[in-house]
Amino acid sequence: MTTVPPLLAARGVSKAFFGNPVLRGVSIALQPGRVHALLGENGAGKSTLINLLSGALRPDSGEIEVDGRAVPRMTPALARQAGIAVVQQELSLTASLSIAENIGLGAYPKRFGLIDYNELASRAKAACALVGLNEPLSTPVGRLALGRRQMVEIAKALYRKPRVLILDEPTSSLSATETKILTDLLERLRAEGIAILYISHRLNEVMALCQHVTVLKDGTCTADRSLAGTDAAGLVRLMVGRDPGDLFPKWRPSASSANAISVRGFSAGLMRDVDLDIRAGEVLGIGGLVGQGQEDLLLGLYGAIPARMASATVNGTSGLPGGVPKANALGLAYVPADRKREGLHLIHPILTNMMLPAFARLPALRLRSRRAEHETGKSLAAQLAIKGDLGRPAQALSGGNQQKVALAKWMPHDPLVLLLNDPTRGVDVETKREIYLMLRAFADAGKAVVLLSSDTPELVHLCDRVAVVREGRITATLDRAALSEEAIVSAAMGAEKQKVAA
Amino acid sequence: MTAWNDSAGGKRASAILKSRPFLTLAIVAAVWIVASFVSRGFGAYGHLRYLVELGAVIGLVAAGQTFVVVAGGIDLSVAAIVTVSAISLPLLSWQADPTGLVSVIAVLALTTAIGVVNGLGVALLRVHPMIMTLAMATFLQGLLIIIAGGSAVTAENPLVHWLGNARPAGIPAGIILWIAVSTVVLTVMHATPFGARIFAMGANPLAASLSGVPMTSTTLAVYGISGFTAALAGVLVLGMNGQGYVGIGDPYLLASIAAVVLGGTSILGGLGTYAGTIPGAILLVTITALITVVNASPGWRSILFGSLILGLLLLSGREQARR
Repeated sequence: MTTVPPLLAARGVSKAFFGNPVLRGVSIALQPGRVHALLGENGAGKSTLINLLSGALRPDSGEIEVDGRAVPRMTPALARQAGIAVVQQELSLTASLSIAENIGLGAYPKRFGLIDYNELASRAKAACALVGLNEPLSTPVGRLALGRRQMVEIAKALYRKPRVLILDEPTSSLSATETKILTDLLERLRAEGIAILYISHRLNEVMALCQHVTVLKDGTCTADRSLAGTDAAGLVRLMVGRDPGDLFPKWRPSASSANAISVRGFSAGLMRDVDLDIRAGEVLGIGGLVGQGQEDLLLGLYGAIPARMASATVNGTSGLPGGVPKANALGLAYVPADRKREGLHLIHPILTNMMLPAFARLPALRLRSRRAEHETGKSLAAQLAIKGDLGRPAQALSGGNQQKVALAKWMPHDPLVLLLNDPTRGVDVETKREIYLMLRAFADAGKAVVLLSSDTPELVHLCDRVAVVREGRITATLDRAALSEEAIVSAAMGAEKQKVAA
Repeated sequence: MTAWNDSAGGKRASAILKSRPFLTLAIVAAVWIVASFVSRGFGAYGHLRYLVELGAVIGLVAAGQTFVVVAGGIDLSVAAIVTVSAISLPLLSWQADPTGLVSVIAVLALTTAIGVVNGLGVALLRVHPMIMTLAMATFLQGLLIIIAGGSAVTAENPLVHWLGNARPAGIPAGIILWIAVSTVVLTVMHATPFGARIFAMGANPLAASLSGVPMTSTTLAVYGISGFTAALAGVLVLGMNGQGYVGIGDPYLLASIAAVVLGGTSILGGLGTYAGTIPGAILLVTITALITVVNASPGWRSILFGSLILGLLLLSGREQARR
């Protein structure tokens, strides 16, 4: 081991919420010039550990050390002074403020007691250049795509010139190129002697980037070792406590020749003049760099944003649904990417969330049957392995379980076409596997699945075909035989104009 | 953590005891008990019955307001709508309508339509509910001044008179009306898909619309209901008062919102129940009655009333932080 004291460390910390232990005697040491991976399923205690390290929470027992000295009362302010910066998984940006204002928020350069906007702009620009953000600094953050917002969040951390950088799933909403920029940047920061704690569900990234790993399972540390000599399967075993098996279900052809949805000359939002056929029984992937219009494609088909088209057929009816209720009636369902903002009613019980599409479709004034609702909820929870009391508010659930609820609510309606917007973002390995199995089973049952994903391996292993979107157009449609990560990335970047005949 | 608490029935009982409607009810009971010791005659059956009768007016206005607030909006035109119904009812009377029922129905239809116009502005023109309903209130007030001028109009409508004065089985007809409306409101709110939709709309409109909730028609319905119940209150006030005049509805704007919030409904929408608004309305008239007992000048009464509402809200009505 090195003789240099770690920049930031936790020694045997424990934390419980309402008598429920979340962390038990966990230690972690962040050394300068090292990228340290923190792995674990949702609910394993990763976020709590970060909160302890950054002073947002105080441990029940154990110590937090900075530069080898114990800090008995760590606070966020002390952490900032010590040069600890956290990039949260939940973005902490203010939508109506500009990129520069968000980056500098709380640490504005002052001149005569007023904000020195020139200084702010030059320093923010430097931080943006590091992460490859080239949008004008005055752009309100609310107008940026999710991936770009994530980059602003990282720039915001870099602006503070941190000695310790903690990143909570930074790549979950990033495209392949953005991920590349980030990993290059982290390599550089590491070389400069910054200690980096890196949390991700993407094991290949972890294997490529990190030198050391700490694995949490159910609040205890199951591994604290160098990454050299380990493989991805071994890590999964440490996280899950059993053999990983295959993450993706076996692919077998299930597509029929019948079209579930067929559009010609379709335009909505960023999408321009697109022709697309979605077959019953297939999983159609939608790939591409983040923010090229993929989301508008789904929302336009779903009737949630205005769309124009030359012709369209949806499940045998001509024309697109003009609104969401109509789309639901035609057998379409949509699972949004941002489950907290678009998918769920966090303050409402899990059961109410599951029943909402039913409430939206039932006659407005028919009396509800609590007993029937309970039965449906219980069977959905069993089907999707959602544990615990369904009367709790949805915000009590972990991210993976929230995503399951967002999916579960459509199941009673047996939709013919399932439109999914990045359903596995920030979801742990085990839940991912369950979701993949469900989607495959759905396609096998003759339904159409449209899977928009920022996770390229997912597109390669799960989909029958992948349509790659670039600048509002479908630039390539790759068949199963032609599917590979390279093919998707090169089509996404416009490297080659290939069109494999469908 | 006793065994009693762990059982299902115990859980439900303790949930009720901790709920906001129950808390508000407990405050009302406490104030009534203390006040009847302090002030002679306050606790008399007749006086308490009178308080509930006055509470019925606020409760009716606040019924629609609860729908609107739960759906994430606010209706600032309720006071003007109360006045519209109290003034237009005497003007809308026909010879061929001996019971007065037809004119009451006509007034209710008119005010429901006014509410629907509010809803159209909010849902289709995307005007903020505060601006839309405030503009509507201002418009209606202007119209009322033109139509009625400064003079009071007398109602000669048998149904309205009955509603304001009759006491079948010793219970004022206004209270019976309130009980009937409360039953319907609670049923619609908590036992129908429509009720579930408005909670979903108020908690997260984006997620609600992506889940297929028909946003436009639900918004229209909610503001329509508010117009309807405000007019019911107007009819009741007219019956109790005998006369309608411009400004008769003014006290009911703050009162309706205060009753909703005192009853534990979140002003941010998505959480709450009319079961809390009911004791909230009674609490408000109780406070008013106490202030009258104190025998202060009208200016001080208003100051006291405002401060008490604020104090009560600080005591019980502060919102939990939302994640």
